[in-house]
Amino acid sequence: MKIVYNELREFVDIAAPAAEVASKLSLAGVAIEGVEETAAGPVLDAEVTANRPDCLGHLGIAREVAAIYKKSLKPLHPKLKESAETAVSATRVDIEANDLCGRFTARVIKGVKVQPSPDWLRQRLEAIGEKSINNVVDVTNYVMFELGHALHAFDFDKIAEKRLVVRRAKQGEKIKTLDGAERTLTKDMCVVADGARAVGIGGIMGGAESEIGFGTKNVLLECAWFDPISVRRTSKALGLRTEASYRFERGADPEMAEFASRRAAELIQQVAGGEVLAGVVDVYPARHAEKSIELSRQELLRVMGADVPDRDIEDILSALGFHPVRIDDLRGSNGSITAVWQCKQVSWRSDVTRGIDLIEEVARHYGYDKFPLRLPAAKVPARRLPHAVALDRVIERVIALGYREIVEIPIVDTERDAIFRAEGVTPAVIGNPLAEDASVMRSSGTVSMIRALEWNLNHGQRDVRLFEVGKRYELRDGEPVETRVLTLGATGLAQEKTIHEAASEYAFANLKGDLDRIGEIAGGFEWMGGGPSWLAPSRAARVSIERGTDGPELQHAHHVGVAGQLARKIAEQLKLRQNVFVAELALEPLLKGVEDASAAKRFAPLPRYPAVERDFSLVLDDGTSFDDVSETIEQLGILELHSIEAADLFRGGQVPQGKFSLMIRVTFQSSQATFTDAQLNGFSARIVAALEKNLGATLRAS
Amino acid sequence: MTDNHNVDQTLAALGATTAEQVVSNFAQVRARFDAEAGANSSDVAQWNAFLVAWTGRKSGVLTKITDNWLKPATPELKRAVGQELNQLKAHIDGVVKEKQAAIEAAAEQAAAARDQIDLSLPGIEHTIGSRHLIRQTYDELLRIFGAIGFSVVEGPEIETPYYNFEALNIPEHHPARDNMDTFYIEGARNGDLLRTHTSPMQIRTMEKEKPPVRIVVPGKVYRRDNPDATHGYMFHQIEGLAVDTDITFCDFKGTVDYFARAFLGPKTKTRLRPSYFPFTEPSAEVDATCHVCGGSGCRVCKQTGWIELFGAGMVNPAVYGFVNYDPERLSGFAFGMGVDRLAMMKYGVTEVPLLFQNDVRFLRQF
Repeated sequence: MKIVYNELREFVDIAAPAAEVASKLSLAGVAIEGVEETAAGPVLDAEVTANRPDCLGHLGIAREVAAIYKKSLKPLHPKLKESAETAVSATRVDIEANDLCGRFTARVIKGVKVQPSPDWLRQRLEAIGEKSINNVVDVTNYVMFELGHALHAFDFDKIAEKRLVVRRAKQGEKIKTLDGAERTLTKDMCVVADGARAVGIGGIMGGAESEIGFGTKNVLLECAWFDPISVRRTSKALGLRTEASYRFERGADPEMAEFASRRAAELIQQVAGGEVLAGVVDVYPARHAEKSIELSRQELLRVMGADVPDRDIEDILSALGFHPVRIDDLRGSNGSITAVWQCKQVSWRSDVTRGIDLIEEVARHYGYDKFPLRLPAAKVPARRLPHAVALDRVIERVIALGYREIVEIPIVDTERDAIFRAEGVTPAVIGNPLAEDASVMRSSGTVSMIRALEWNLNHGQRDVRLFEVGKRYELRDGEPVETRVLTLGATGLAQEKTIHEAASEYAFANLKGDLDRIGEIAGGFEWMGGGPSWLAPSRAARVSIERGTDGPELQHAHHVGVAGQLARKIAEQLKLRQNVFVAELALEPLLKGVEDASAAKRFAPLPRYPAVERDFSLVLDDGTSFDDVSETIEQLGILELHSIEAADLFRGGQVPQGKFSLMIRVTFQSSQATFTDAQLNGFSARIVAALEKNLGATLRAS
Repeated sequence: MTDNHNVDQTLAALGATTAEQVVSNFAQVRARFDAEAGANSSDVAQWNAFLVAWTGRKSGVLTKITDNWLKPATPELKRAVGQELNQLKAHIDGVVKEKQAAIEAAAEQAAAARDQIDLSLPGIEHTIGSRHLIRQTYDELLRIFGAIGFSVVEGPEIETPYYNFEALNIPEHHPARDNMDTFYIEGARNGDLLRTHTSPMQIRTMEKEKPPVRIVVPGKVYRRDNPDATHGYMFHQIEGLAVDTDITFCDFKGTVDYFARAFLGPKTKTRLRPSYFPFTEPSAEVDATCHVCGGSGCRVCKQTGWIELFGAGMVNPAVYGFVNYDPERLSGFAFGMGVDRLAMMKYGVTEVPLLFQNDVRFLRQF
């Protein structure tokens, strides 16, 4: 809302420069975004909040300025030269839909001369960015910006039967509005009609056929009050937002309707001549009885925490028109803790109906800055989110492993999302997306991880390790389900070449090793072959946590997620020219694992006797797994067996086709004594025998 | 090298029969030692050979003097020879110790010079990851509010219209919905939408918990706005809510001021401008003195000295009606901050898209 400073001064006597007024208005609740110089003087750009339709006119802003500067508002007294003929005899108005239209006034002005507006009027309108049309229309616009209430002028001679009826539109009823568009209406919309057809959409825009033109002689001036919700609904449905609808949907002042009409008639007569028929046709079904609101000091203290002097309370409320009157028993006593003021509920402030509303009025004009700073006493300990500590530990690990955290927008492309969607998942699709490539809530963390890797590859960043803690979304039986996930993604070099180290590509082994470092704080991961279709079959795995000691019902492995290398055909489809590795883990079971593992931690005594390592170079059939080897050894039940590691693996050379060579390092540890050679040789012999027998392994001469 | 000629012979053979002659012979040997010691002290190998020649147990000069001069000496001369020999040994010892230290120091110095590493070369680097700027900012915010007793809660991003709007005193067709264009989920049973703010958790928390309530709510929110440099259709908020029997506007101001000083620096000042939100009353926009110019006016704050931080206010009593709280007994305040904006402001990030492109060149900076 643009405010012409000089017009403001017609309502309130102020000498302060516009910039000062602007800054004070901002601190009282009418945000002024800027002050601009125009031919009509300074113009203030006010950002009016949705609760203050009264400030959508100069009068309302002037009332605020008057309260700020402790001046009184200069009243406006429109003076009409009325003819003997009465408006009532010239036209009639019926409101059939009085739930949609609470008041309708009509005035008739005969014999006007429609012509371009005089300079002052044109300038005022242009200063606030409005185009001048003709003197009659300009007056209706001018009064709207002056008083905040929208009006409409009809060419009276084009009104069939010289009467108006406010009714619901017929389903499919058509009207050509002032902007030239033909609009099709529905039966919940409010129209202003004449004896034949709709001539306006109530509170939004008049019809083109009864428009004021340079040929217009007689004018019917409408100034009404329409239901805010109805106006808003209609305006949204038609996609037609106007200055009028903007005001009515915020709740215009029904009392203002007749006054604004009188003011407009005065100005029309002033700039276009003509005679104003005596009186007004005023149908007012929504007239409210006057109501009052109470403001008590106790309530003010309870909410604000500091007092405001009587004098300020009364000055502020009076200046804003609320007519405060002390009604408590101690009304003679200034500053009484029991003071209560009765105030008038005013028609232009539909937002002020309760004590708290008056407290806000007092506080904002008294000044928010005058209330002291305090900190509330904390009565209960602050809690972190559930599992926050476990999540911290996981994230510390992931960062220590070299992954950088990303934050993604979870609204993604539908086709992309489908690639990584688990079977049987119903995605949460957005019904009104802004764009095709952002039309579904992601069904996986992976879809975003791939996007981020792709972005980096496309921007020359080839060696990337990323992670995200976020959610995936789905609908289950129409109910949304949000699941927190940890997603890891990597591509390019795991190790760049340096003066100290050779370069190495990030491989599945990196992913597995990194995940196991995360898994070890969650009690250890179990790996199983196979995974979703978007992973390469030979490089795909499912990861779970072994749940050991938590009770029988939890003794199975808990599925956590999947990990592997992106399948070649998907990498090709997405034009990713490097191997890409991804893992997506459900966060809740992982964090539960971390908490359980942390709770189960106990000290183990340090061994007193030296551990002994023995290496075995085995030749095994292809297809034999490391797990087969270690299980075979573990099944021997050697109590002193401490660990089995894979130390070397190769194929080819002297190793025959169909076989491979694996060197394992077995560590023995005794808590009883130092090993004797005989003991160790005994262990070795049993291990070799078992491997030969169970796996057909042969010992390679080393 | 040492000419052993005279020490290979006995003193008698050398014709020394008096104590004076003994002294003179020893003086010759000593002079020779001094000369050779000087000549051989610059090179470690030479020095070691020199030491063997003089002090070697088998055929060093000292051994030879003992064998050839002392042992066969006549009883009259034995005492003089012994004395002279001891003096010579002491002299040799002293000189050797002194020279030896110098030679070792020189050798060490030479070795150090040879082995000196280039400190300007990098060490073996282990790659370490990083936290996203938004997460770091959240961590900081949660710490700041945790320190004054705010607990953390989280809520769903896919919300019902009731929690996102109605229970927050924003009925359908309320003009305040103009600023909150909303994404709707297709086929959701309750007409679900993507929450437009973190405020629904105010309602969900008060439904479940009795006062005192003091929470902050981090999370993603969504608005159906066309994205540009300063707005995306997803952003991060942190909501705050404190409700109790004794919370006032002054507590609200104090909390807001504490936050601004903790987040932007101890010299920061705050001011509240009256504003409007359907779920707070009185409502305010919170401004802080510009963190760049300190309030004197600069490009960042558009010469005003102030920057807008967030919207807030006292909880509108109408909201208590939705959660069965007694509005005559309870009061409280609520705030909602845009975390992306705060982070961008604090670190001078110029464009919203940078936050979510996740370019490692961006991630590396924080």
